[in-house]
Amino acid sequence: MSALLSAPLQIGDVIADCSLPDGSRLSQLRGRPVILAFAPEAWNPAHTYQSELFAQILKDFDEGATFIEACTDDWHNFDTESDLAARFGVSGKRALFLIDEVGILRWKIEVGSNEIISLGEVITALETLKAKPQNAGGISRRAFLSASLAAAAVLSLPLSSAQADPQMLKPAVAREQTAPPAPYETAGTIPVTLRVNGQPRKLQLEPRVALLDALREYLHLMGTKKGCDHGQCGACTVHVNGERQLSCLTLAVMNQGKEITTIEGLASGENLHPVQAAFIKNDAFQCGYCTPGQIMSAVALIKEGRARTDAEIREAMSGNLCRCAAYPNIIAAIKEVQGGVRAV
Amino acid sequence: MHPFQYERARNAKSAVSTVSRNASSTFIAGGTSHIDLMKENVHRPDLVVDVSGLPLQSIAAQGGGIRIGANVSNTQVAYHAEVVSRYPVLSEAILAGASAQIRNMASTAGNPLQRTRCPYFRDTSQSCNKREPGTGCAAITGINRVHAIFGASEACIATHPSDMAVALSALDAIVQTQGPRGNRSIPFPEFHRLPENTPQLDTVLQQGELITSIDLPTFSGRSHYLKARERASYAFALVSCAVTLEMDGATIRRARIALGGVAHKPWRTPEAEAMLAGKAPSETLFREAARAAFANAKPLEHNAYKIPLGQNLMVRALMETSGLLPLQGPAGTALASSAGGVAGIIPLTA
Repeated sequence: MSALLSAPLQIGDVIADCSLPDGSRLSQLRGRPVILAFAPEAWNPAHTYQSELFAQILKDFDEGATFIEACTDDWHNFDTESDLAARFGVSGKRALFLIDEVGILRWKIEVGSNEIISLGEVITALETLKAKPQNAGGISRRAFLSASLAAAAVLSLPLSSAQADPQMLKPAVAREQTAPPAPYETAGTIPVTLRVNGQPRKLQLEPRVALLDALREYLHLMGTKKGCDHGQCGACTVHVNGERQLSCLTLAVMNQGKEITTIEGLASGENLHPVQAAFIKNDAFQCGYCTPGQIMSAVALIKEGRARTDAEIREAMSGNLCRCAAYPNIIAAIKEVQGGVRAV
Repeated sequence: MHPFQYERARNAKSAVSTVSRNASSTFIAGGTSHIDLMKENVHRPDLVVDVSGLPLQSIAAQGGGIRIGANVSNTQVAYHAEVVSRYPVLSEAILAGASAQIRNMASTAGNPLQRTRCPYFRDTSQSCNKREPGTGCAAITGINRVHAIFGASEACIATHPSDMAVALSALDAIVQTQGPRGNRSIPFPEFHRLPENTPQLDTVLQQGELITSIDLPTFSGRSHYLKARERASYAFALVSCAVTLEMDGATIRRARIALGGVAHKPWRTPEAEAMLAGKAPSETLFREAARAAFANAKPLEHNAYKIPLGQNLMVRALMETSGLLPLQGPAGTALASSAGGVAGIIPLTA
């Protein structure tokens, strides 16, 4: 492969011609500014930080530009120490390079593989360049409007077995197989301490992690279900300071210092909570997916003490949907516990 | 979700200062609407300032009325004894909205700030002037059955989704705010705005202006909220109606009526309100008032049904408020505010 650059690229350097992952040459893109993006993970629109970054850049600067998805089809074939990443001196990092129409590096940013590139920073940089008068050697607005974005993605994180397609990997990729990366462990994490079912739990989370995802993906308390993830179904209901709340519509970081109870914290040892027992006795579920949320909601409803009649219970339970329509049995279970009849 | 930095506000002043200086920052309190929209990529703040811990958590007597702190939960307001007895329209409106879980989370200040449920606003693949000014409105030529019949513009036909806001409008509540340039009091009917050419702005709040309380003025009369929706509970209003009636013996001294689900803001009906003043309640009078209220409605392709639905709902709300028809449930409860039975099991008697 090609030799490493002797020194890190500097703003103002002329970028030597090289081949792009799709087999084309960088020189073929001369005449228009080019953004080279290096991301340490799969180009994956589900990775919102990637798709948002690129979508925003495209939206602000394209109008007719073509997004050269240089890597989307065959990028799995790239070596972690890809030629292109090495050439740009960013192996294993996230980076963006902005090369103007004559091939001069105008701006760059590189961050560690665990950090994200701030959209604001990129946009500010692009705006600055855009504002320069043409004769000052900057990139003109006109030129920007026809800018094309060439994205070259480089694998640098070890792939977990679930992510890797062995057929597509060169042996070199597997050189450092270590523990698979934890989910979401991508960017800007902060320490978050949650008190769950009476136990303090220390986590390192991005601020955007919902309480639901913290419970399921980090604490592996899978009893709390993700139904709609948008506050429309109630499957994720937990108790926060004794009140029923939706764990999908609150951030984990906002719940520090609060007492969180999940379905796992309801029973005492082997003894089911009376509402759990009543649900079993009254056959108050079919598939069971909504059941943890139904039970957490029902426990709170009984404690609230406002709903007694069927109509009031239905109204007070309307935030918990049941696709199997076990509603009459759910109401029966609730009324049984309210009536003090201990389920067996 | 767009990544962001998170800060817990130390006090209102520093929160206001931070958010007013950073256009891509926002307050968060209950989060129920905000986090949903952040998951949908509709809201993409770079900095989120959590004001939920600020000590704006009490309900207290204020003049002859009640001051509700910005962070008091919707549940606390709805079941507060003074609110239930003196302002049942507010309890009924809050309990007609969302679910018990969401009401436990949602704040007093946050509820009126929730964004429209227009499906085109929430779908980032569609053009929407409210989400991205200048991109156009996909709803105008799209499926617009849930959209506005009053006050819409070429730029936006969205409606405001809050039930609570409709009641606050009919009560002429006051929004107290703290901004970078001091405090102000905003009468509720002026708090939300019409879309005009800037539908991205739902309210008159400035960047970084923080709601500290919502004040209910003194009121001694009857009040009631009635809501029609596509299922009996846990759904947004197709049309709703908040009524306050102050009586002089057997005649109406002053009526205030606000409609929900029909405009970019709670829609007050000054023509109808004026027609009721000084008259005795009757179905004939209420019918005339409802006709007047909807005389200037401008339906779209799919939402003309809101005119007869809204007129009938308004007549029934006035009948129930004035006692000519019984409430469907105890005053101040969700059962009183549901126009379609309760969870499908209670037949209509009215």
